[in-house]
Amino acid sequence: MNWMLLLLLLPLAGAALVAFMPEKSARQVATLVTLLCCVPFLAMVGQFDWARSGVDQFQTTAVWFEPLGLSFRLAADSITMLLVGLTVLLGPICVVASYTAISERQKTYYAWLLVLQTAMTGVFLARDMVLFYVFFEFTLVPMFVLISLYGSTNRKYAAVKFFLYTFTGSILTLAGLAYVALEAARANGFWSFDFEALKTAARGMTFDQQKWVFIALMVGFAVKVPVFPFHTWLPLAHTEAPTAGSVVLAGVLLKLGTYGIFRFALQFTPVAAYEYAPALAVLGVVGIIYAGLICWVQSDIKKLVAYSSVSHLGFCVIGLFALNGVGLSGSVMYMINHGLSTGALFLLIGMIYERYHTREFKKLGGLASQMPVWSTFMVFFAMASVGLPGLNGFISEFMCLLGTFQAGGTTWTEFGMIPGRFGDASLLPGATFGNLGPWFAAFAAVGMVVTAIYILYMVGKIVWGEFKAPGHSAHAHNHAKGHGHDNHHGAAHADHAHGPLPRDLSGREIAVLVPLAVACLWLGLYPSPVLRTLEEPVAMVVTQVRADVLRNAQAALPADPQTADAHTPALLQQAATITEPGRR
Amino acid sequence: MSGLAGQLAIMHETLGSLALAAGDAAHAQPRFGTGVGAKFDVPRLFGLIPFIPLLACALCGLCAAMKVKTKLPAAITVGCLLASFGLTIGLYAQVHANPGDFAIIHAFEWINFQWGQSEAQSLTANFSFYADSLTALWMLFVTGLATLIALYASEYMSHDVGQGYCRFFMAFSLFVFSMACLVMGDNLALLFLGWEGVGLCSYLLIGYFYKKPSAVAAAKKAFVVNRIGDLGLSLGVMLAFVQFGSLEYAEIFRKAEPFLALARDGQWQDIPWTVQLIPILLTIGAFGKSAQLPLYVWLPDAMEGPTPVSALIHAATMVTAGVYLVARMFPLFLVSEHALTIVAWGGALTALLAATIGMAQFDIKRIMAYSTVSQLGYMFCGLGVMGVMGGPAHVFTHAFFKAMLFLACGAVMHGFAGQLDLRKLSGLGKMPGWRIVTVAMFVGCINLAGVPFITAGFYSKDTILGDAFANPAMVPIGWILLITAGLTAYYTFRVFFRVFVGPAYYEPGDELHAHDDHSHDHAHANKDHGHDSHGHGHSAWQPHPPGWAINTVLILLTILSFAAIVTVFKADGWLYRMVTNSSAGAGIAADHHHKFFGFDAHAAMKVVSGIVAIAGIAVAFVLHYSGRTSAATSKADSLVPMLGPIPRWAQNKWYVDEFYHFLFVRPLWLLSVVFAAIDKVLVDGLVNVFGWVPKALAKTARPLQNGVLHDYALRMAGGVALLLLIIVLMVNRGDRTSAAASIPPTDNSIGTLPAAPAAVDPIAVSLDPIRAKAQEAVR
Repeated sequence: MNWMLLLLLLPLAGAALVAFMPEKSARQVATLVTLLCCVPFLAMVGQFDWARSGVDQFQTTAVWFEPLGLSFRLAADSITMLLVGLTVLLGPICVVASYTAISERQKTYYAWLLVLQTAMTGVFLARDMVLFYVFFEFTLVPMFVLISLYGSTNRKYAAVKFFLYTFTGSILTLAGLAYVALEAARANGFWSFDFEALKTAARGMTFDQQKWVFIALMVGFAVKVPVFPFHTWLPLAHTEAPTAGSVVLAGVLLKLGTYGIFRFALQFTPVAAYEYAPALAVLGVVGIIYAGLICWVQSDIKKLVAYSSVSHLGFCVIGLFALNGVGLSGSVMYMINHGLSTGALFLLIGMIYERYHTREFKKLGGLASQMPVWSTFMVFFAMASVGLPGLNGFISEFMCLLGTFQAGGTTWTEFGMIPGRFGDASLLPGATFGNLGPWFAAFAAVGMVVTAIYILYMVGKIVWGEFKAPGHSAHAHNHAKGHGHDNHHGAAHADHAHGPLPRDLSGREIAVLVPLAVACLWLGLYPSPVLRTLEEPVAMVVTQVRADVLRNAQAALPADPQTADAHTPALLQQAATITEPGRR
Repeated sequence: MSGLAGQLAIMHETLGSLALAAGDAAHAQPRFGTGVGAKFDVPRLFGLIPFIPLLACALCGLCAAMKVKTKLPAAITVGCLLASFGLTIGLYAQVHANPGDFAIIHAFEWINFQWGQSEAQSLTANFSFYADSLTALWMLFVTGLATLIALYASEYMSHDVGQGYCRFFMAFSLFVFSMACLVMGDNLALLFLGWEGVGLCSYLLIGYFYKKPSAVAAAKKAFVVNRIGDLGLSLGVMLAFVQFGSLEYAEIFRKAEPFLALARDGQWQDIPWTVQLIPILLTIGAFGKSAQLPLYVWLPDAMEGPTPVSALIHAATMVTAGVYLVARMFPLFLVSEHALTIVAWGGALTALLAATIGMAQFDIKRIMAYSTVSQLGYMFCGLGVMGVMGGPAHVFTHAFFKAMLFLACGAVMHGFAGQLDLRKLSGLGKMPGWRIVTVAMFVGCINLAGVPFITAGFYSKDTILGDAFANPAMVPIGWILLITAGLTAYYTFRVFFRVFVGPAYYEPGDELHAHDDHSHDHAHANKDHGHDSHGHGHSAWQPHPPGWAINTVLILLTILSFAAIVTVFKADGWLYRMVTNSSAGAGIAADHHHKFFGFDAHAAMKVVSGIVAIAGIAVAFVLHYSGRTSAATSKADSLVPMLGPIPRWAQNKWYVDEFYHFLFVRPLWLLSVVFAAIDKVLVDGLVNVFGWVPKALAKTARPLQNGVLHDYALRMAGGVALLLLIIVLMVNRGDRTSAAASIPPTDNSIGTLPAAPAAVDPIAVSLDPIRAKAQEAVR
């Protein structure tokens, strides 16, 4: 039985089922289907050969359009497995979290949510470039619908901006990929969009070609991640999206960008990735601090969390461009961890919004005294977000920083940041191959402090203090004016058809949060099994990048010694001192 | 008084010469190397020491979920901590039997992976515990004091039974778990876990009374300031990893060995700067956690937390984590030319600054907080001047008497409805039921003041002073510390003479009204407690003396404070062996024998510091006790005008908080506002400018957004098909025209790609059928 195909198609079938079922049973069907998705996933986990976690497994190929070499090609390696696992985990959580929030047009809502899950699963499973791109773009449609039909006040603008911005970016990505396909076709004499074939062709390109392909790829992925300064669609989309939409957006959709960087930018164009690593890392570091500081002055809680995503994913990006084992593994872990903790934060904020119909710091406060259970979860996930050791966020953040710190450091002298003996990175015996260095880590680590500032600001405002909420207690005088947020636009809002929510969390809401909390604790205290599965794919990428960069540097050296890069000898020396990694 | 001093002087002569002889014996056999011996095995059972408190935390959490309304969480916590303490004694016995060696207890894997075969391509940081005598020393007082203070808290927090009680003991147990990880971890990552974990517990407990804005602000400040320190620490950890290829102590010490040899010979230039930088980065972390300049500002504010928390976390244990870090990493500090100097000067300046602030405060708990900052400065000096024993010894003795001082203050606060102003309390010793508190306070005060020969605090402080004067480079630090010792004696006894002796007088504190701050919903429940004041008029209010739990703990701590003398009495006593049999023992190599005006520094300090302490107490006696007739005023008030604005400045903490606010917080906030504006106007504005075309298109296409699913799907599929078509056309054109112009005019984005090479023949062949189809489609 092809569990993988089942995993991919089950939500789609569920969507069809929802469409034909009566309105009232939509959410039951959706819940059932998303929960059922766990079965094929667990079967896959059981069948997966974890000893060869870097190899594509469960390969499924069906010819799609022969003349162009298009095929329906699916497979999974450990990174795919992890990200699909995240998708499968968030599926039922999103559905169950929407029970009270979505009371109108339920069929449409749940059907699109299920379609979205198929699209996301497909992105991670696809091993054919066109198939990947179809899934990649197709995630936009359900998300567009979810935002524009079920969002808040400014939802139309947000949805259009989200769609157009990311779509424009991905067209460039497509152009880059198409160029690679073209190159591959030239080299092979036949068309193929298979990842492996494309990778071989792309790695064979000259640096000049790689450079442009890399830039084209990165534009799309950077918008998707989002990397500073391409991030402005995200806070808007997050703020306007319904809770489940935000959870999926933060949890999985942003990871499409980092996954794309990992799968394509690093593996197809390793030399360019190496060369431009410092530039990308600078954007990452700027994003960490810039977006982090912006969080601090937000008046809307959801916007704060949205900006925190931008800040957090900066760590993910620098980890990727560290191009060494620690950084890459940390980055993949970051994709998972950010999905868990930020997803949970969005859920928590959604729960507050359902109760008080506001997300403004001004109007909320001191919820600890009224909602102790909610507050406990809030503090827990806030700490996961801060990167408190023992919870998931720390592992990935620490590893991203450590990887960046380790990664070579040729840029020290190149940028002339510190003169004299302070510039000689080769003094560090543990430095690995890479193009970043301690300075990047040092600046990025400032993000640790900034994160603490804004997260504790948020917790201090809404969890601690004297209780304050619209329509409650004596502090409700603002309420009389009527708050703009209460323009529910019909569908956007719960009309409490399912009865008023209890003051503190209901059993359903707790059930939604507990799996995430358990996952956070597990990945924080015992990440080793997960890290182990990353060893092989990461080692493969590291080896490829180093081999290509080295070959490129060697090729450049004798050809024209005078114009060769100033740091090439240092680079060669550095690469030579590091032994070839391989499987354990 | 003079008779007593004379007797003490005679006692000093004999003891001083004894100590001198003992010191020389120790100097005679310096040990070189990192001070790390061989590895020995201990039962894995001892790996449970941190996890039993974690179990207590989980159980208290369960209590919270079950809405337990009894003192059950306290009982669980005390029981678990006691078990943990018992195991720690067992571990101590094992360590004691293997002096100089270390054991590693592996609990489970934490971060452990490898992406290549070489050593540099792996990262290992497990939940493994490193047990040597330094670990045992710290764990003994951490678990021991935690047990006692939990017992104390069971009574102190009784107002909150059924409300925050479970939460309090959850955080309390979690703190002990984190502290145990910090102290016992066998690698820097686990230390960091504990380091941040104690920070979290500190945050949760400072903000325990979360309805008080000041408590919330203090909690946030503590966490953020600590994070600044942690930034330095984490960079130090990373640098250590990149330098030594490992995060594990045993490995780091082994690889630091060659540098240590260079350092001993003074060949600093041969030690890479990166190695020398590690301890300096670690120092930043240590100064954050242990509240030293410039990061000390959070600790006084941390007194917003319940007093047992102040006693355990913000006086006895957590704040000594920085000292532990320096002691644990002492081999690395020795290979850095400047690190120990920085540690010493940071400590000395902090000690003096905090003492001056402490002199001018009126809140007795704040005074104790500043004295903690000041004494922590001493501890860093003890390590920084390369004395081995002084720092950890002072940590050990200070833990007992300072915890006791805080608990005594807490008893006062508890009994007088939160009153802590020394101008509103007087002569407590004369009131019924306050005898034990007064005695405990007195014992704590003489220890803190360093009354010679009869207090443990005297010996440990004296060791630090002696070490400072013995090191020729550190003599100025010695003088600073000596002055600070006098100030300490003064402000300590200022509290004692004002509050505990003299005419009996009290005013209850503001918790009369604010008490229900944290019991909003349960105002009526409070009436069940006999000691509560609700419903009574101000005049009928009576202080309630502490009950059995508080008194028992105070008595035990009084005994322990005295008992601690045994450990520090001799210069090569128990504490000396505990410290030197660990990685901190590396420092013995650097013994100094600088003279203090021709006398052996250690012996001379026995007299001089004793005199200074007595003098400080005498001044406090004259100014705050003799002839004082009211609580509010004393003779010191008449001196204040002579000092000009200085007392006011000191009382306002030299405006350091305001300075920081002006220099860092405000600009950062403004920067954030500017960034937010830039983001809105510039970054997003630019996007909107670029997006005006699609936006206009979207406007015209708005009718198409009808929400009909198949329409969207159709259009999506159409889009993909169109894109595929573009590729095909591109290939087509590229084939037809020259290689340089492979760009269809419809899509400029592809135009940024480099031109494809000319050799396209094979594709042309394979594409023929497609091209035909595509052209057909276009038509």
